[in-house]
Amino acid sequence: MNRAAAPVTPAVLATVKIQARGVQVFYGAAHALKDVSIDILDRTVTAFIGPSGCGKSTFLRCLNRMNDTIEIARVEGTILLDGQDIHDSGVDPVQLRARVGMVFQKPNPFPKSIYDNVAYGPRIHGLARNKAELDAVVERSLRRAALWNEVKDRLASPGTGLSGGQQQRLCIARAVATSPEVLLMDEPCSALDPIATAQVEELIDELRSQFSVVIVTHSMQQAARVSQKTAFFHLGHLVEYGDTEQIFTIPRDPRTESYISGKIG
Amino acid sequence: MAHEAPHIQTAFDRDLEALQALIMKMGGLVESAMAGAARALEARDEELAAQVRAADTQVDLLERQIHQDCARIIALRGPTATDLRTVLSVMKTAGDLERIGDYAKNIAKRVAVLAQMPQVGNSAGTLRRMMRAVELMLKDALDAFTRRDVELARHVRASDEEVDQIYNTLFRAFLTHMMEDPRAITAFMHLHFIAKNIERMGDHVTNIAEQVIYLATGTLPDDPRPKADATPFAPADE
Repeated sequence: MNRAAAPVTPAVLATVKIQARGVQVFYGAAHALKDVSIDILDRTVTAFIGPSGCGKSTFLRCLNRMNDTIEIARVEGTILLDGQDIHDSGVDPVQLRARVGMVFQKPNPFPKSIYDNVAYGPRIHGLARNKAELDAVVERSLRRAALWNEVKDRLASPGTGLSGGQQQRLCIARAVATSPEVLLMDEPCSALDPIATAQVEELIDELRSQFSVVIVTHSMQQAARVSQKTAFFHLGHLVEYGDTEQIFTIPRDPRTESYISGKIG
Repeated sequence: MAHEAPHIQTAFDRDLEALQALIMKMGGLVESAMAGAARALEARDEELAAQVRAADTQVDLLERQIHQDCARIIALRGPTATDLRTVLSVMKTAGDLERIGDYAKNIAKRVAVLAQMPQVGNSAGTLRRMMRAVELMLKDALDAFTRRDVELARHVRASDEEVDQIYNTLFRAFLTHMMEDPRAITAFMHLHFIAKNIERMGDHVTNIAEQVIYLATGTLPDDPRPKADATPFAPADE
């Protein structure tokens, strides 16, 4: 922790998991994210809301360097995970993504068995020494994702054969199998029915006891239901960031008010 | 609502505007109940008093309708921010207006009793002035509600002190009369309840003014409201 570049105190680090300062993202000539600074807290659900193209998903993808995979994307600014710069030359993006897991909008299970979908991450990261340990990780992850009871008798059948809601929970099980510290979720419920949505939301609330969860959502009600902190993005700017209750009852910025109450602003 | 950006779903705007129109209609009915009760008291007009009592049913029905409409908007539209505060403050204001209507009705009932007794004292003019002051406060509070006028709402809130002072004065006067002439106690007890009812109306108008401040700013005023009601501490056996 003797990095002079980190302008944070140990007391702050106890609760702040990710510290972003002056983050800019360019896709070629397009300036997608403009000078975003935010502290994302540990063991907290943070919701990113905003209209399409506002930069919320772009920023989410910065947090585990998913933008590295886009040829024309350029990221500037500092992002610290537990005080360490995630762009340091010593940081392996693959290892980073094991610590900062991600669940996408559309369920995307591997064309493998249910078991192998969940076991894949722990295997490549060497998190289990033998079959028994791996079995235990798979079961624990599936239980955390509230899927175990539905699939325990058919672990060998293909993950792609599950229903949409089950597939999404399988992807969540896969993401938590590597015991990440932060879980990024990009519209995880947009393809799910209300029951599956409620199950995923219940799961998010449980995950909060162990992880920092960041969720991008177009559903205002979902942001209000699951998050403790909400960040509103608009045209690449972080307009307002605060307690979810405050954002939804007394937003400070008129742009936030217009967006959350569905007004032409 | 004209000064705010419209919703993309125009039906939402219509819902909120209809809700506020109902509050204004209810406010108008309550204002005329107050004026009617005061006139009936001063003129010992039993017929007018009966009209005031009958008209209260309308106020009660409006409160129920506003409550239903608020529940529907909350369930179907999920209001947030200013929209949420609008719905909440409309609900609370409707409750306060209903109470004010009840007090007006109660005054009208006492007018019918007083009309059967010989006239006592000369408080009718003071009671009318007191009622007029509360009527003006209510008019200002409803205007402040429509315009989201925090300054006017604060003014209403401060005005209640004057009503409290009139009540204190009347309380002492009634007490003196009752001690001087025990045969008039029944009549003065009714007059005292009328004064107390008007004083309570002022408190409910103050609540409405506070809802305007909440609606416009997101927080209720936390400074103590000016109070001049000292009657609980007035010695009764001087």
